[in-house]
Amino acid sequence: MLLRILAAAVGFILLAGVGGAYTAPAQEIIFTSNQFSPVEEQEWARNTLFARFTQETNVGVRFINETEGPYVDRLVAEAKAGRGTIDVTGGLHGIFPIFLAENVIRDMKSVQASLDGRKDRTFYKDLLAVSKFGDVQAFIPWMQATYLIVAHRSAMQYFPRGRNPMRMTYEDLLEWGQNIRQATGQRRVGFPVGPLGLYPRFLHGYIYPSWTGFQVKGFKSAQAVEMWQYLRRLWGVTHPSSFTYEIMSEPLLRGEVLVAWDHVARILPALRQRPNDFVVLPSPAGPRGRSFISVVVGLSIPRLAPNPELAARFIEYMTRPATQVVTLQGVGFFPVSPQASREVPAGGLKVMADGVNEQGDAPDARTALLPIGLGARTGEFQPIYRDTFQLIAIEGRNIQEVLNAQARKLEDLYRAMNAVCPPPDPAVRPCKPD
Amino acid sequence: MAVAEVELAQVARRARVDWAPYLLVLPTLAFLAVFFVYPMAQAIGLAISDQQTGAWTLANFRRMAGDLYFAPAVRYSILIAAFAVPLQVALGLVIALLVNSRFPGHSAFLYLTAIPIGISDLAAGLIWLSIFTERGYLNAFLQAAGAVTEPIIFLTFEHRSWLVAAIVITEVWRATAIVMLILLSGLQLIPKDYHETASVFGAGRWRTLWHVTLPLLRPSLQTALIIRTILAFQVFATVITLTGRQIPVLAGEAYFWYTLYRSPNVASSYAAIILVLSAAITLGYLRLLRQRELEMAA
Repeated sequence: MLLRILAAAVGFILLAGVGGAYTAPAQEIIFTSNQFSPVEEQEWARNTLFARFTQETNVGVRFINETEGPYVDRLVAEAKAGRGTIDVTGGLHGIFPIFLAENVIRDMKSVQASLDGRKDRTFYKDLLAVSKFGDVQAFIPWMQATYLIVAHRSAMQYFPRGRNPMRMTYEDLLEWGQNIRQATGQRRVGFPVGPLGLYPRFLHGYIYPSWTGFQVKGFKSAQAVEMWQYLRRLWGVTHPSSFTYEIMSEPLLRGEVLVAWDHVARILPALRQRPNDFVVLPSPAGPRGRSFISVVVGLSIPRLAPNPELAARFIEYMTRPATQVVTLQGVGFFPVSPQASREVPAGGLKVMADGVNEQGDAPDARTALLPIGLGARTGEFQPIYRDTFQLIAIEGRNIQEVLNAQARKLEDLYRAMNAVCPPPDPAVRPCKPD
Repeated sequence: MAVAEVELAQVARRARVDWAPYLLVLPTLAFLAVFFVYPMAQAIGLAISDQQTGAWTLANFRRMAGDLYFAPAVRYSILIAAFAVPLQVALGLVIALLVNSRFPGHSAFLYLTAIPIGISDLAAGLIWLSIFTERGYLNAFLQAAGAVTEPIIFLTFEHRSWLVAAIVITEVWRATAIVMLILLSGLQLIPKDYHETASVFGAGRWRTLWHVTLPLLRPSLQTALIIRTILAFQVFATVITLTGRQIPVLAGEAYFWYTLYRSPNVASSYAAIILVLSAAITLGYLRLLRQRELEMAA
């Protein structure tokens, strides 16, 4: 009996202690996103990024990260049910057409106007341009990212002689891979070809426009056939476990791969752990220039948000230059305002930022944007490119036949959704491979 | 008066006997109806309706069948089950017999072999990925032992059979323990008298195993077989971790159609195929069992 009373007393003291240390914020907003999916990023966002907002405003942030499917479904389901719990949401710009079609989000013009009224920030013009769909502004630009080449410093000795890595071409990349294979006896170029890896982005946003000038328009052109012949040769110097890779920092750190292409957020862990071992290079150039994807992530307030004013305050905090620098340091997404870009301190991130600048400033640079306007069938775009790769490079089928068959699928998709071609393609509606 | 009382008691008893079992199974039935029958009906409904209009259609099944990964997914799902399940049952039986012999330290051995039960399939996939990858434990071991000079790349699209072998090894490691537990509990239900009688009649160990233990273990074997085969068709986390999509499987395709392609309807078509396959195989096992029982009765 005495023991039980003692236990109860100890339990009570413990509980009281915990309660004393933790004071719950007065209000709470719910923030959903398909970004920050690695657990470390979520932990960082909760403990650093959102904690500072809570400290400042006494408004708690409940963060819900989901993969794209459930993430979109939750917002659409709330809109359909007519009862909202989500106050603010953050997603890739390519998702917003779905939200507009399903009447999920508000026009963000008024929030944008109040942000523009502040003197401390402006937004990059091209980012603001992609946030507008017709006369509706679907989101406030939040973060941006791109994809780059990372290499072990030790692999630089195999780079083709007399060539400039900062102006690398696709032929240089292949020769580099061949040199490494000759010297080390192994294929050490790596791509994230795993099911959830971002390799399809390389196909439609990097190599296709670099070789054919277009993401969709030149899908089965003569240049595309040449490009696929090249890709077969490149696959010959690519690590044969590439189909298991989803985040390239892992094989880079293990040393399985010496040269890799991936999203900045997915190579950042390697740069963080061993900043002196890696170099960041711009993506290669093909016969039609150096194409790269600019990824734009935006914040928006659902139409049925219970606390829209708090959500607007949250957006103000997230787009503040100081917060933008913290976000870059935390997850490797780059700022959306020039004021913030100027404040990036030196270090491993500077290496990355320089790579990003080299890519964007290259004289032959051309920007590709993620496809939009495919609505509920957005998810079918990437698999067409991924399957084409599987059929041509891995199963060795006839290139032109595969391209013709896959181009029909692409054409059907665009015709069914009456969607416009993504840049750098001309704005044809519906988009159609020639 | 007395007659009426007896009648009343009989009526009361009949009423109690009639309703109590139904009341007791009601929560289970309600649970199954809400969390199993309803979602199943909904999935079948999704599989046969158009994503946009909701009209009835077979287009989802046509899209599924026309997909690049469909035929390989059917083939590899059956192949993996055909290799993994017999191995799991055989190995599970050997371990169960070993533990049941109650050698010194058998309970520590039991706990040790049962550990994989507590590990999720994704974690199991990651564990074996860290073993099979080029810079993994297996290569480190082989190099340290001097068996190879350069690491061998086990996980390569150039050797699909190696990929299948990696999946089967992982599945056997992960799920043999559950088979072992089912069989062990079955073994412990067999009365000792049978074995004593067998030894009195001069039967050796093998004869006893073959003619006494295994026939009496048949119900447990059937349970283990059915559970493992059904679960083998649901496996995908280990497969994706080890082989990406180079070895497609049905459950994995359902997952990809839902998350990557955002088509719940085609994903449901895959779910329906898995349901039909599982039901067919379960019926097959049950029929096999009944025939054996008839043979035994004759």
